[in-house]
Amino acid sequence: MTPSEFLATVLGRPVEVKLDTGVVYKGVLASLDGFMNLVLEQTEEFVNGKKTRAYGDAFLRGNNVTYISLQKGAAA
Amino acid sequence: MENPLDLLRLALNERVVVKMRGERELAGKLHAFDQHLNLVLSDVEETITVNEVDQEPTTTTRKLDMLFVRGDGVILCSPPLRV
Repeated sequence: MTPSEFLATVLGRPVEVKLDTGVVYKGVLASLDGFMNLVLEQTEEFVNGKKTRAYGDAFLRGNNVTYISLQKGAAA
Repeated sequence: MENPLDLLRLALNERVVVKMRGERELAGKLHAFDQHLNLVLSDVEETITVNEVDQEPTTTTRKLDMLFVRGDGVILCSPPLRV
């Protein structure tokens, strides 16, 4: 599976996105582009493992992204 | 929603929350944006959080009428909840 194939399979699924600041966002991946800009729905923000905030929709600028992974329990 | 930037297009003329690098947060009405995430906001409240060792985090806020934001400092941008 190539990276872009992976990203195509996780679109529309619950993902966990870690930024280079260490902050983690969990939400449903609504949209993604080649810069790795992405939109999450039902977004929850975690700092040091603690939930700090929730957003309905959140646009994340791609340069801050370290990884995108499928959330546990959400089988591809 | 085909493209992530469509979310911002839908948020034009609405109040948005923007998380910036350097523990800064902006809340204001979105007037314009481009592919770099350069933003033009109005009626902005900026919140700056300072975390110093052995001290409680302190926040300061200030209000700005009109603000241009350089895109490379933007981390997150969130429109208000749609009902």
